[in-house]
Amino acid sequence: MSRSDQSPECEQREQAAAYALRALRHEEAESYREHLDGCARCRADVSSLQPVVDSLPVAVPRVVASQELRSRVMTTVRSEAELLHAAGAGADRPQSARPRWRSRRLQALTVAVAMGVGVLVGAVVLDTGSQGPASRVTPAQLGSLPAGAKAVLRQVGGHAELVVSGVSQPPSGKIYQLWLAREGSAPQATDALFGVNHSGNASVNVPGSLAGVHQVMVTAEPIGGSSHPTSTPIIVATLPSS
Amino acid sequence: MSRSSRQIDLSPSKLRELADEDLMELVCNNEAAAFEVVMERHVNAAFSLAYRMIGRRALAEDVVQEALLSLWRGGARYDRSRGSVRNWILGITHHRAVDSLRRDALRTARNVSDDDLHERLEAPEQTEVEVVRRDEAKEVRTALDALPAEQVRVIELAYFGGFTHTEIAAMLGLPVGTVKGRMRLGLEKMRSRLSTSEAVT
Repeated sequence: MSRSDQSPECEQREQAAAYALRALRHEEAESYREHLDGCARCRADVSSLQPVVDSLPVAVPRVVASQELRSRVMTTVRSEAELLHAAGAGADRPQSARPRWRSRRLQALTVAVAMGVGVLVGAVVLDTGSQGPASRVTPAQLGSLPAGAKAVLRQVGGHAELVVSGVSQPPSGKIYQLWLAREGSAPQATDALFGVNHSGNASVNVPGSLAGVHQVMVTAEPIGGSSHPTSTPIIVATLPSS
Repeated sequence: MSRSSRQIDLSPSKLRELADEDLMELVCNNEAAAFEVVMERHVNAAFSLAYRMIGRRALAEDVVQEALLSLWRGGARYDRSRGSVRNWILGITHHRAVDSLRRDALRTARNVSDDDLHERLEAPEQTEVEVVRRDEAKEVRTALDALPAEQVRVIELAYFGGFTHTEIAAMLGLPVGTVKGRMRLGLEKMRSRLSTSEAVT
């Protein structure tokens, strides 16, 4: 279905506007994207219409985002920034003025992970001092990932997040998806789909409850996610059974 | 190279002087303070778009939160050759809102409900940026209003309603080709109108 027709009368020309408006169904959009790779004419159509579509949001009535939304976003951002800075400390930067005991423990932890030591070294409880509840950090086992890749599962209270660094971008057309596995049953799909930034970092909220969960896993899946894993996990964090 | 951002003054007042594109480089280095400045600049626009599409504050906030966090986590995928940071943020927000609309069967309750009528309109700011933005908004609205109603309809259903062209065709009892044709004609007409007023570059 991917035609490489460059003639001015390409049959797919009527798709451009619907594509720019994101009004194509998922599969149609995928196949049109493939078509665009080979059809300069349609590419030109899309790029001439896209700015018009991009201008549409300015026409909506302006309403104010709540302070709660801003705080919620920034709370997550700050905690991830702190963790990623700490996790990256040993790897790409000399010691900074971070509390020394903490970065040393995290380093020990991440070194253990980078060396692929065991499946897990048990959970490490990091006392975050006066900064609220203690967090439990579980290093993850890594599949085929670049040397230096790190992944830890961090639980604070009832909430968990997977923090990764040095992880390669998902293959083209793929995205990383998080799965929850319970003993004796197939991994359960989550809607946590993610990519990584150019340093290979990401921090992903683990949706739902970890009750009864044995492993938190990550696989590369087609954009949009899958209902069953279609590839070998690249990250597996096995939770201590307690 | 390790974290060149360390040499940069990251105080909030200095950060606010930086262009979005420069802030995004700091965001790639996981600088939360830089991200906060980017967020403050665009969060109202993103929320306005999500709210217009979804019509419910809580869901619109979820969408904007997801969009902002994906910007934070995937900042490196921002490609400055492909448009402004603002358009990029609005693009992610739009994308997430469409997903949310298509995922949840919200279609029946799509209009702004009475609960939300207390929604505060953004206080007018007299900054130059705001003035330019309001002019731009007026131009886009004028360009949209100048289209035949049938073209506005399909564009709005698609872009703000998150409906696919086949859904729109079924809804309006029209052939799919007609719907796509109206989308194209409408956008092309807007483009020529906007390019004369230079709102779209």
